[in-house]
Amino acid sequence: MNRPARLKNPLRSRSEVILRGTVVCALVIFFVTFFVIPIFMVFGGSFFRWNPLKGQLNFLGLDNWKRVFTSDLFWRSMGNTVFFAAVATVFRVVLGLALASALYSRLIKHKSVYRVLYYLPTITPLVAVAFVWKFIFDPRIGLLDQLLNTNINWLFDSRYAMVAILILTIWKDFGYAVIILLGGMYSLPQDCYEAAEVDGAGAWQRFRRLTLPLLKPTILFIVITSLISYFQTYIPVMVLTQGGPGTQTYLASYLIYEEAFSKYNFGYASALSFVLFIFIALLTGLSFKVSGKSDDT
Amino acid sequence: MKMQKLAVSVLAIALLAGLAGCGPQQATGSTPPASTPSDQQPTSSQPAEPSQSQEALPVMGDVIQYDPNQPVNGGQDIDIEFWYWTGAANLFQALADQYTAIHPNVHITLVENPWDDYWTKLPLALQGKDGPAIFNVHNGQHDNLIGYLAPYDIPVDDLKAEFVGASGHVIDGKIYYTDYGLMTATMYYNVDMWAAAGLTDADIPKTWDEFREVAKKLTIRDDAGNLVQAGFSYNGGIQGDVLGMQYQYGQDLFTSDNKVTLNNDAMKSVIQRLKDMYLVDGVCDYNFGNNSGDNFGQGSVAMYLGWGFMTNVLAQNFPDTHFACFEIPAPTAEVPYAYHRYNGESTFGVNKNASAEQQAVAQDIIRFFLANDGIQKEFCLANAVFPAKASLQSDADLLAIPSISVLADHIDRYIWPGAMPSTVEDNVKIMLEDVFYNGKDLDAALADAEKAINDDLANLDFTSQESMYKYAGEALD
Repeated sequence: MNRPARLKNPLRSRSEVILRGTVVCALVIFFVTFFVIPIFMVFGGSFFRWNPLKGQLNFLGLDNWKRVFTSDLFWRSMGNTVFFAAVATVFRVVLGLALASALYSRLIKHKSVYRVLYYLPTITPLVAVAFVWKFIFDPRIGLLDQLLNTNINWLFDSRYAMVAILILTIWKDFGYAVIILLGGMYSLPQDCYEAAEVDGAGAWQRFRRLTLPLLKPTILFIVITSLISYFQTYIPVMVLTQGGPGTQTYLASYLIYEEAFSKYNFGYASALSFVLFIFIALLTGLSFKVSGKSDDT
Repeated sequence: MKMQKLAVSVLAIALLAGLAGCGPQQATGSTPPASTPSDQQPTSSQPAEPSQSQEALPVMGDVIQYDPNQPVNGGQDIDIEFWYWTGAANLFQALADQYTAIHPNVHITLVENPWDDYWTKLPLALQGKDGPAIFNVHNGQHDNLIGYLAPYDIPVDDLKAEFVGASGHVIDGKIYYTDYGLMTATMYYNVDMWAAAGLTDADIPKTWDEFREVAKKLTIRDDAGNLVQAGFSYNGGIQGDVLGMQYQYGQDLFTSDNKVTLNNDAMKSVIQRLKDMYLVDGVCDYNFGNNSGDNFGQGSVAMYLGWGFMTNVLAQNFPDTHFACFEIPAPTAEVPYAYHRYNGESTFGVNKNASAEQQAVAQDIIRFFLANDGIQKEFCLANAVFPAKASLQSDADLLAIPSISVLADHIDRYIWPGAMPSTVEDNVKIMLEDVFYNGKDLDAALADAEKAINDDLANLDFTSQESMYKYAGEALD
């Protein structure tokens, strides 16, 4: 009796294996070259007085690390960064959720127009819009003071400088959250809503009891990516305030940028970068853990 | 082909005739050796150099001379790159065109980079063998560049004889770059506002006390007391000038061991005076615009302390603003130790890692530039800088620029502190914002800034040039 011919698994064909191997190898090489090796180089460089522009590499031991942890400016920058990231993330999510819910409702017409309008700031170049906002914040000719009928020097008053950076950041980024959350809402099971409506649940109850819990993975995704992104923010600071007035709006990434590309102190900048890297990695890990636990329940 | 050669030769002669006419002297006779390897003499089969087939071209320069009749690279074709940062393409194109008109065998590729990119790309390019043979230099990047520079093959004494400030660039008996122009701060004032306030040329202030009175007269407020026109504004940053005004009291910026000194009486007087002009005199306030230069151009500020480049910025961006300049006031009517600091616009660097032939061409271009008053004048005019070359310091066209002419009487009373690392100005900016905007105590702010700068300087190879200043002996101990 002949054994039945064994069906060939297309995923195990020779050409498939070669293709998979090539793609995976290319990705591994890419990540090793542009992520893993630089991370090790940064860690190694943090023990040196390092200026690659003039070929300087002098061993310093732990001096750069000691300086990081004893620097007032670093801790101030980290404090500012945590505040900035937390506020920007909360506003991004809350505003995004509110506008996505409004767009999802049956009351709004011309939804695609709003979607485009909300998303436009996200796709405009950050440096360019930051310069526009710099004019908007100007105390003499700025639009904002004229609209609010105030006389606030947004970028040079320590009470408002960080607020100004946050306004720009939230304006630039909320559209991304709107689109992602709207996508999440459209994928929610409609039968649950119909059942809730039959049971007499109002709009607020449906939002609170159905939409929010079902959107939790999407919200967590936005929170995690926002935090990672905001911990690395420096361009709005560079354009609007240069960390000022004084050092009031220094963020950790701006401090790193200043040390590396203004003072060419790559060793110290590497130590700062590594601390920030560990901080973001811990935060991301924590977020995934929280996310995993919530999925289990 | 013959027609092309003829056309090139005629063009070269025409250009050189024009250039030589700008020079102080059309010297002939003995000429310095051209930067060409002695074993590479031109032959009749090589590309034509104008000097071989035409009447000899006039030698340029006085002490530093350039003989355009000497072939470069033995007349053989050679390619070099010339790097510069964005903003002066026409100047570098003119320089390259004039040079290649004389030496058509040299092919110069001009490479332009944005300012920020330039200072990361250039040092990395200079580490290899394919970097530019010649490039634009800014002394603020001295620390990153000096290791890649070849010294000029022009005798240091010749450079010192013709260029103000060259002595400050001598390192171990060699010069790697010097200044072709000196830029410093002058007081810009709006001529129309000046006249409207009933002021005349006789009111141009010589001292800070006189200046404060003039600023008050130029200040206009509405009935509610709101500022309409500021008499004087420094909003947006005056750190570059605060770092020069302490010299007026005889106070150097650096100690003999190359540490910065900020926490001293002179600096306190400078900053307190600036603060008092706003808070006591009321000539401006910190919310009246964030860029005093632009505000001056827009017509809301009557006086503004700006560096030479502002002359062209104002002319280009605010052509309707009528302005003139006067020299920065001093504490008393006496000539101070120094009116201010200056910063040089640097001549070009030669890449020591380029091939010997390329370096020789680069050195030849440097000599061509330094001997050539015409092209230097173009560079000085374009940047509104006081010419470092003595032969240009009485040039009528240059002295017609207000920010240059006011320096002519006292140019020797301006000091170059050396190629200051960016940390100095960065930390003084922070210090001033803390004092002006955040209400930080002046003593504490100065002490913090001084410490931060000295921490950074400890990692850098900075050497103050203040001891090279002509009147260094008059400084406070």
